[in-house]
Amino acid sequence: MQEKLGEHILWHVPVLGAVHGDTIATTWLVMIVALAIFGWVGASYRSAYQTKRQVVVEGVVNYIADLATGTLGKRGEPFVPFFIALFVFIFLLNQFGVLPFKAFGLPFGGSPTADLNTTVPLALLVFFLTWIVGFRQNGIKQIGHLFKPFWPLAPINILEELARPATLAARLFFNIFVGELLFIIIASIILAHVTLGPVNLSYAVAVMPFFIQFFNFFVGTVQAFVFTLLGIVYLSLSMGEEH
Amino acid sequence: MTSQALVAAFTLLAFGLIVTGVAFGSAIGDGIVASKAVEAIARQPEARPNIFVFLFLGVGVLEAFPIIGLGLAFYMLLVVVGVPSGLYASLAGH
Repeated sequence: MQEKLGEHILWHVPVLGAVHGDTIATTWLVMIVALAIFGWVGASYRSAYQTKRQVVVEGVVNYIADLATGTLGKRGEPFVPFFIALFVFIFLLNQFGVLPFKAFGLPFGGSPTADLNTTVPLALLVFFLTWIVGFRQNGIKQIGHLFKPFWPLAPINILEELARPATLAARLFFNIFVGELLFIIIASIILAHVTLGPVNLSYAVAVMPFFIQFFNFFVGTVQAFVFTLLGIVYLSLSMGEEH
Repeated sequence: MTSQALVAAFTLLAFGLIVTGVAFGSAIGDGIVASKAVEAIARQPEARPNIFVFLFLGVGVLEAFPIIGLGLAFYMLLVVVGVPSGLYASLAGH
């Protein structure tokens, strides 16, 4: 088995030490691709007619904007661009693992979200967003949220508050990671050459990657959506009731 | 039976147990979510898009836990104990 589980190409950076080079390179590649896509969509706004790409992109944007304003109300409008960017970015990061760059020996490829170093910062981003927005809105009274409904429950509330980013990161990471892991399992089964008399049973597994890829596409989309929606829900919980 | 084979055998047993529990629990949970969503759509067909959002949210949140369990089980099987190399060698007969 050539490919090892959770093994990354290491870059040695002066201040930070060893970093996962393939994850960083792939993330930058995804950002360039996203910029190119949105530039291509934005260029079509020069003409007076509505094009097909506008309809598709506006459908996605409207859907998430409706979710955000539906949950947060009027105060959610400033955060709509953030959540749209979060959804599109995580979606592209998840689906980028389909392209087999690593199989050709290139130093990038694979989903960057199959690395805890990508998902933990994204979860921390949502965590700090909820707290900073809460402090800006409610002032120092935001800490009082931890002592509701009465103060003996404070440890449970603090634990819940810390569990949110942890579960956000772990959920996204494990879903994408297990998706990639299944391919390694199937490759190892094929390479094992399990034989039954003259028949090589291992080749029967070769049809599986096709279906797993469909499953991965579905899982990647749903997890990007769940990450965004949970971010909206956590933000609405932190902001409290609308006055 | 060598101690290494014993460890491999019990790891495989543990892996089987984890996968069984994970499949069992997630199947029941998904069934409950889907059946409640169908009931809700049957009661209020006009709320269908709204219910679909919560159906996917529920399934997405719920599916994460079996997959986390499966990931940890595979980690135990492949990395901590390293079962398949010896297992496949014995199956392939070399």
